Amino acid sequence: MVRISRLSIFFPVFLAFLALAACAQKLPIDEGRMVIALPGAPVNVDPRVATDAYGEQILQMTHASLVGRDASGELVPDLAERWETPDPLTYIFHLRPTAMDGQVPRQAGMPRVLEPRPGLRFHDGRPLTSADVRYTFTWILDSANRSPHRGLYRHIAAIETPDARTLVFRLSEPFAPFLSTMVRGIVPAGSPARGYAPPVGAGPYRIDDLSPDGEAVLSAYDGYYGGPPAIRAVTVKFVPDSNVRFLELKMGSVNFTLNGVDPDLLPAAERDGRLVVEEGPGGNVTYLGFNLLDRALSDPRVRRAIALAIDRETIVRTIWKGRADLVSSILPLGSWAHDPDLPAVPFDPARARRLLDEAGFPDPDGKGPLPRLRLTYKTSQNEVRRRVATVIQEQLRQVGIAVEIQSLEWGSFFSDIKKGNFQIYSLTWVGIADPDIFHHAFHSRSAPPDGANRGGYSNVEVDRLTEAARSEPSREKRREMYRQVQRILSRDLPVFPLWAGRNLLVRDRRLAGFLLTPDESYASIRAMRIVRDSSTPPTGSRR
Amino acid sequence: MRRYLLGRLLRTVPVVFGVVTVVFLLIHLLPGDPVEIMLGESAVPAQKEELRRELRLDRPILSQYASYLTGIPRGDLGVSFRSREPVLGEIARRIPATVLLAATSITVAVFVALPLGMLAAMRRGKAADYLSGFAAMLSLSIPNFLLGPLLVLLFSVQLGFLPVSGYGAGRPLVLPAITLGTGMAALLTRMVRATLLEELRKEYVTAAIARGLPYRSAVARHALRNALVPVVTALGLSFGAVLTGSVITETIFSWPGIGRLLIQAIDARDYPLVQGCVLVIALSTVAVNLATDILCARLDPRIRYE
Repeated sequence: MVRISRLSIFFPVFLAFLALAACAQKLPIDEGRMVIALPGAPVNVDPRVATDAYGEQILQMTHASLVGRDASGELVPDLAERWETPDPLTYIFHLRPTAMDGQVPRQAGMPRVLEPRPGLRFHDGRPLTSADVRYTFTWILDSANRSPHRGLYRHIAAIETPDARTLVFRLSEPFAPFLSTMVRGIVPAGSPARGYAPPVGAGPYRIDDLSPDGEAVLSAYDGYYGGPPAIRAVTVKFVPDSNVRFLELKMGSVNFTLNGVDPDLLPAAERDGRLVVEEGPGGNVTYLGFNLLDRALSDPRVRRAIALAIDRETIVRTIWKGRADLVSSILPLGSWAHDPDLPAVPFDPARARRLLDEAGFPDPDGKGPLPRLRLTYKTSQNEVRRRVATVIQEQLRQVGIAVEIQSLEWGSFFSDIKKGNFQIYSLTWVGIADPDIFHHAFHSRSAPPDGANRGGYSNVEVDRLTEAARSEPSREKRREMYRQVQRILSRDLPVFPLWAGRNLLVRDRRLAGFLLTPDESYASIRAMRIVRDSSTPPTGSRR
Repeated sequence: MRRYLLGRLLRTVPVVFGVVTVVFLLIHLLPGDPVEIMLGESAVPAQKEELRRELRLDRPILSQYASYLTGIPRGDLGVSFRSREPVLGEIARRIPATVLLAATSITVAVFVALPLGMLAAMRRGKAADYLSGFAAMLSLSIPNFLLGPLLVLLFSVQLGFLPVSGYGAGRPLVLPAITLGTGMAALLTRMVRATLLEELRKEYVTAAIARGLPYRSAVARHALRNALVPVVTALGLSFGAVLTGSVITETIFSWPGIGRLLIQAIDARDYPLVQGCVLVIALSTVAVNLATDILCARLDPRIRYE
């Protein structure tokens, strides 16, 4: 007979094997390495074709653009040290000194030892000139290359390069948001698109290795025009499971994640002495979209009644754990065109009932079970969105609106929204960089596929203002026009802006210098450093 | 045997044809336009039409289907819409990770199930039997999305033995393989116990022991071998389930396998990639089942394939 004792040694042996397999683990931060966890892998890391957020975030570290953005979202010089707009159809960019601008003495007063001037260079040592910038945008505009960004640059009529440092963009028609479209990584002339092999850039980090679904290994680029980054090695891990991202942070194998930890787990992160949680305003606005071609929802009183019946504060407090800001416009709070004086929609169920009565939807049986009207609410299968939908369903039930929730797989959900096959839906506007979004989302000619006016909203004044604003060079005049647009939208409620989730950074307390921005930019990673002192200064509102 | 193999291979053709056809139709019936997903909302309609033409999505569905079918024998599974890489290359990059995880988890399952199942059968009605039954039920009851993080919490966060996630043939493989293999091990343990008990009741075992063969040898050399035939068949069948069912484990441990690739492809409505993944999974399942049948014949000489 086989005795139990013989087989029972299997498990101790197995555990011993695990113990042997384990070796003394040194945390990445102890080796000077920063490990960022992203919730997903990028589909592509080529600035000419990348559209997903993860690809864009890696590109912010590896590829420099003509212009960049500062913490408040304002456009600032990047590769271009300055630019001018002699007329609304012409944009002239002057590049920083390039590596081809000759040679200079190493130090004043010293013998004339000549060496290449530190200027704009790509990671492979090639000088970056206006020809590379022209190539990048010409490549995007070439229909054969199938760039998803081609539509964004359709106003470009010609790109001229009078010299190695000067670029002239000529537009076919005035397009005020043009400058913001210049935040696009530049690649060397002649770079082919090679799927997972990204073209070299001129940003602070170079890509040493990129494995699909695995990780991206970056190293500091000493030739970066802004000076070499202090953190020499950065690994970007693609960790899709939020619990695992949190456990990686706990273990120290990941030491930085932006919006990568669920609100429910943040208290545990805050209790961990090694981690710091920082919070800052976010730029992604969640909203309820209404189908204005629907009989009931075409009445603005019904839309307002729905808005009045939703207790947003409770939802933010319970589901978002207070980590979201209520908004009255789809434009991020920090945007230069945001109207701070917009009236907020209060939680007022009594008024909501009155408005429904006025709109011809009286309660058919008083306190009985019959609803005033029935609506369908479409959302994705995202867990938080489903929870939000359930709470809104209950809140609308309180005023007599029966809501059926349809939680659909993303592709089917978005397809329905774009076809107008919905009554109410919930989505989030991500990465709004310019108020021209109002033209894209509310102009009567912006119905899909020409834009994102999915609810069929039509207002002559909004059409006029958004058209005028996109060709108006003066920012002050544009601001006033967009404020008028926001006031009209606030009155008509073609969509009901709900809240903007706050940006949440969880990092090792020894990592310092990151600037938390509303647009979740990773650009300031180049300014980060690893400090010995654990009492690092907060960069946002530290908790 | 050669005739049998040839016959099996020929029978594979309609199976694969059926799978390819059903998946082709289903993925095209799903709402969601790959062109819209690829180009985003900033694209102008002309650009979308251009891309649709280039991807040949403007052609009738039968014509698209015919092109796809004729490409398969040439090894041309098309180009992924989302990454612009050849589908075969995309899949080939993920195959090693998937095979490594599947093979290791099956090995883990076999190494756990065989001794535990044998022990339970040989000590029927004793503590070891009940313990093994309890462990099997417990393992079957814990879903992978819970077991994975629990193992991570214990072995990575608390004990610091193993990495939380990542890809590699060494330490990063341990937890995903255990997570994926545990449920299978539980199932196999109960199966080994049941089939072995059945064999132990047969006269040839009693006769062998009566002739003076030690009980342990009678079990290991005779009964176990016969008991393994259904177990090996079950293993072969579960291989396909491991290939497609490893998505959760791959997601938890950031394992770059074909399961995750398939889910991403479905989300992006990347038709060629979805079809390619399903084709490879179908072919692998058929191949493993064929290998299983051959192995069963080796284990039990009474099995004859005609």
